[in-house]
Amino acid sequence: MRKSFRIALAGNPNCGKTCIFNSLTGARQHVGNYPGVTVESKSGNFQLDNIDIELIDLPGVYSLSSSSPEEAVVFRELTKKGIDLIVNVIDSTIPQRSLYLTTQLAELHIPMLLAFNMSDDAKKKGLQFDIAKLEKYFGSPIVQTVGNTVSGVKVLKDKLSDALQHLDDHGVPMLSYGADFDDAISAVANKIDELKIARYEHIPSRFFAIKLLEKDTCVMQISDFKPAWNEVDLQITHLRDKHAIEADTFMADRRYAMLAGACRDTISSTQEKRREISDKIDLVMTNKFLGFPLFLAIMYATFWFTFICADPLMGYIEEFFGWLGGVVGMYWHEETLPFLRSLIIDGIIAGVGGVIVFLPNILFLFFAIAILEESGYMSRAAFVMDGVMRRFGLQGKSFVPLVLGFGCTVPAIMATRTIESERDRKITIMVLPFMSCGARLPIYALIIPAFFAQKYQAFTMWLVYIIGVLVALIGARIMKSTLFKGDGEVYLMELPPYRMPTLKSLMFHMWDRGRMYLQKAGTIILFTSIILYICNTYPEKKVFDKDYDTAIAEVQENGQLNTVDIALIESAGILSAEEMAQVKADKAIPQDVLDSYFGEEAENAPQINELQQAAFDKAQQLNDDIAALENARQAEVLENTISGRVGKFLEPVFQPIGFDWKITTATIGALAAKEVFVAQMGILYSEGEADEESDGLRAQLVANYTPLQAFCVMLFCLLSIPCLATLAIIKRELNSWKMAFIEAGALFALAYVATFIVYQLGTLFKIGTTMLG
Amino acid sequence: MKAQCCCKEKELTQTTLAELPIGTKATIVGISPRSRGAKKFADVGIVPGTELLIEAHAPFGGLIRVKVLESSMALHRDDAKCIILKEVEAVNA
Repeated sequence: MRKSFRIALAGNPNCGKTCIFNSLTGARQHVGNYPGVTVESKSGNFQLDNIDIELIDLPGVYSLSSSSPEEAVVFRELTKKGIDLIVNVIDSTIPQRSLYLTTQLAELHIPMLLAFNMSDDAKKKGLQFDIAKLEKYFGSPIVQTVGNTVSGVKVLKDKLSDALQHLDDHGVPMLSYGADFDDAISAVANKIDELKIARYEHIPSRFFAIKLLEKDTCVMQISDFKPAWNEVDLQITHLRDKHAIEADTFMADRRYAMLAGACRDTISSTQEKRREISDKIDLVMTNKFLGFPLFLAIMYATFWFTFICADPLMGYIEEFFGWLGGVVGMYWHEETLPFLRSLIIDGIIAGVGGVIVFLPNILFLFFAIAILEESGYMSRAAFVMDGVMRRFGLQGKSFVPLVLGFGCTVPAIMATRTIESERDRKITIMVLPFMSCGARLPIYALIIPAFFAQKYQAFTMWLVYIIGVLVALIGARIMKSTLFKGDGEVYLMELPPYRMPTLKSLMFHMWDRGRMYLQKAGTIILFTSIILYICNTYPEKKVFDKDYDTAIAEVQENGQLNTVDIALIESAGILSAEEMAQVKADKAIPQDVLDSYFGEEAENAPQINELQQAAFDKAQQLNDDIAALENARQAEVLENTISGRVGKFLEPVFQPIGFDWKITTATIGALAAKEVFVAQMGILYSEGEADEESDGLRAQLVANYTPLQAFCVMLFCLLSIPCLATLAIIKRELNSWKMAFIEAGALFALAYVATFIVYQLGTLFKIGTTMLG
Repeated sequence: MKAQCCCKEKELTQTTLAELPIGTKATIVGISPRSRGAKKFADVGIVPGTELLIEAHAPFGGLIRVKVLESSMALHRDDAKCIILKEVEAVNA
């Protein structure tokens, strides 16, 4: 017996192929309860009794025709040489519909094994199968499986090794289409046989003859068959004249007639009431009046869950990285390998840590999306939203990709493959980058709590997302009436019954995305953080415009507290004995001590007289003066670096939209991946700070920027291209570099213009130029 | 253009899927050849002879949800106009 086999998994959309694929191979491909989760074929390997098996998970299709990209993929994979066995997965709760594909797979005459999946649900529905009889009908072994449990798939493994030993004597039947049609098929098949096409010699010519008579797009595109076209047209005209019907639907009629007969004989139902719960839920969920408000409520709940529930966890991670930087700084002496020390503390911990802080958001967001996907609500939302989407030049099927776009644009663009209409699909892809993805989330999550008062935070977050959605919809509308005119395709979408998502699979999905995020942080973000750190540090400034050390010493000399001041401060009785000792030694009050009594976070202002207050003010003034000088020196150092030079060079371009050179460099870095923005700001504002008690990036931002600028940053990041990966996937899916670059250019232009308008108007009317709240 | 003639006659005397209220059951007698989706419909079981149950209409017009071969499919009103039905019977929703 041979040592290795190639097996293809084929079946209707949403029949559980990927579940079985995962169970057999141990892979962790994404599953969901809506048609079209798998849009391209994926392969995995596993061993069965010492035989190597390559398993190919194909996208779900209703038939072997080729009217959608997925169907084209399945067609190509199955007509390639080297498939030893097809495992045809059947949703056994809807056997008749599922077996339609089986009748066409049979025509390929490749050995088959039928997996009647979801057999537990079928049992609940009261369906009983005469397996022995069905096996005879289809000439293939049948096994009843439950794809999402281990035991439910074990039976499949047993049957599989059995089937692999009998590959040569399979009894896959050829379906008869009735006298006249069989004659027509034979006539075309004979023509194909004459052509002797080596590429397809492993598949009966009868299969291609039927497809040609159906005018199947994929087969019509294979130029090898061109010489047979004449015969095909002759036969079609003949059939049409004789039967007054189109050949393509007649084939389907015959298949269904055969199936109806087979099912009547072999499948019996004991219960009349089926899918009752699912239908009852839908009475409410897709109700003409309630459907839309419920949809809005569910979307709101999703975002509430993502942002509010994840918040406390983020605090812990932030503390952890603060602590980590502190510990490394403390135990790693400043003079041993100072460059490496600084790279690790300021570059890596600040950069990568700044990004990892937002892991809880990502996890919660994907958990929420997984619930929507696995429960089956996604296709209901598409159903409810279709009318609204159509007004904007999109359609219901654009909806699922757009929601997935809140997670990550790349898989969302892949998911557009379920849209049959090429025009709608293109438009959906082009506007998808406006759906604010998870990678932009860290930017908002960094900025919003820093600049906006608690009560406005949720609103601002919501506003950013809504702006994205609105721009996407308006963009789609404009494109529909300009670039992509023309007719749409027929719309057909299945609404699968609701299923309770399993906790295991939700956690799985959530962790999978979380792991990808961490991987990204550990690779791209880590790498860019190091590059950025180097760009932010070198070349080092040796000669300064001004002698800062002398200037600081002078300020210290002139502004230091005299004995009277110290006596006044002591008399106020606010500072502890320890703090007083320090004050006496330094002739100054450390800033953190001042903040703890007078800063914003101090509980209540201490009761002191005017003279005492004046002494404290003097201490504050001294600190401020020194800080100003140190900042000036720091600025000079930074502006001399590569980042500084690049940023300074580009500053005139970005100044009109409110960006200083630091934001400019962060925005450029963010072209690679949006999280880099946070990393770069983290690095820029942590340098030269590591020895001190770091104020935290948010406090630094507040000290340096206005809320208007902060909003402009968010707006710009929202509207510009999410990352290079998005650009690459747009190129792949639209199969055109030109389109990809036009998209990137248009997004940049739009982002720039929109931000320009907001910033200039904001500055003019003084909105957000000072702190809010 | 023989096919089109025969279809027009049918349209005059038959109801289409787009006209039926929620909760009715009907059997398909034909698909208008003008429909772009005849093959797509066939793939999911919308062929002459199958029984449909109209389940719901989506908010904001547009989509119609029907049960065909035990599963729920959503399709657009414009396309539903091409699906010709007979034997309309009301069932309890």
